[in-house]
Amino acid sequence: MPAPATTYERVVYRNPSEHHYMKVCLEFQDGAIALNAAQFKQLLVSALKDLFGEVDAALPLDILTYEEKTLSAILRICSSGLVKLWSSLTLLGSYKGKKCAFRVIQVSPFLLALSGNSRELVLE
Amino acid sequence: MAVFADLDLRVGSDLKALRGLVENAAHLGYSVVAINHVVEFKEKKQEIEKPVAVSELFTTLPIVQVSCTHLDVDLVCITVTEKLPFYFKRPPINVAIDRGVGFELVYSPAIKDSTMRRYTISNALNLMQVCKGKNIIISSAAERPLEIRGPYDVANLGLLFGLSENDAKAAVSTNCRAAILHGETRKTAFGIIATVKKPRSSEGDSDPPPACKKSKCED
Repeated sequence: MPAPATTYERVVYRNPSEHHYMKVCLEFQDGAIALNAAQFKQLLVSALKDLFGEVDAALPLDILTYEEKTLSAILRICSSGLVKLWSSLTLLGSYKGKKCAFRVIQVSPFLLALSGNSRELVLE
Repeated sequence: MAVFADLDLRVGSDLKALRGLVENAAHLGYSVVAINHVVEFKEKKQEIEKPVAVSELFTTLPIVQVSCTHLDVDLVCITVTEKLPFYFKRPPINVAIDRGVGFELVYSPAIKDSTMRRYTISNALNLMQVCKGKNIIISSAAERPLEIRGPYDVANLGLLFGLSENDAKAAVSTNCRAAILHGETRKTAFGIIATVKKPRSSEGDSDPPPACKKSKCED
């Protein structure tokens, strides 16, 4: 007796996260320059504007945390703008004439993932 | 997965600066680095262990065609500092890809200057249209530690240049490894037999002779 035909149900999960989170750190060549949060945001927006223009400079970008001492921050950007923000951070060369570089430490669609680096997990 | 490689670090003769640059690259996540020595009008690449691959810089169309088809090189480096005066033609590029020659794009001019940025991106897009993203390598022509970017950042730049996500990551890892291996195979015959300067026979008869003789006796 043939087995009854199995029914399949297809469930598709689209990425439920609308934002991507980036943990970045700004590195200067000759020692650190003090930047407050507003100047940091200004730097990010001007980097986006230089590479992509006015429209992409207006992407909804938020600085969730900012540490002035280490010049590191956690940014939030909508998922469609991740590639643009990331590449404009990569190609940023200088701030007010001083050479600098953005080091992107972690990128994740989930904020909780930024609390630890899963690649350095040691399983006992 | 192939390790990340940056196949273009330009340093002068300053050893300390070189060491700082290489340390920075290792800290960022690159496992393999190649240091460019400018030799006359050609550039010779040297891996840290031994000289392996040769890459050539070209600016005019005749050199392009010749280097893609005949010259014994591994990588063809695309100058991005000026608008290329010619368009890439599909036939020589396809021949080059079949031969295993890779094309290298450099991104550190894009960090320094905004005009360079435009030329870099336009030349890269031009190249992508013709070669469809195969055998592309992205590397930094970094002279200072601050000009290197991490491997995932560079893979993201590949997306800007018109590569697919897969190709962009391969441009930093797999294709670099392919170029280095291509350089090694040029020293060997058909990539199988290599002569080693040791009191051992070459790799061609890698089965130790006693084992062969044993199997023949057992027949």
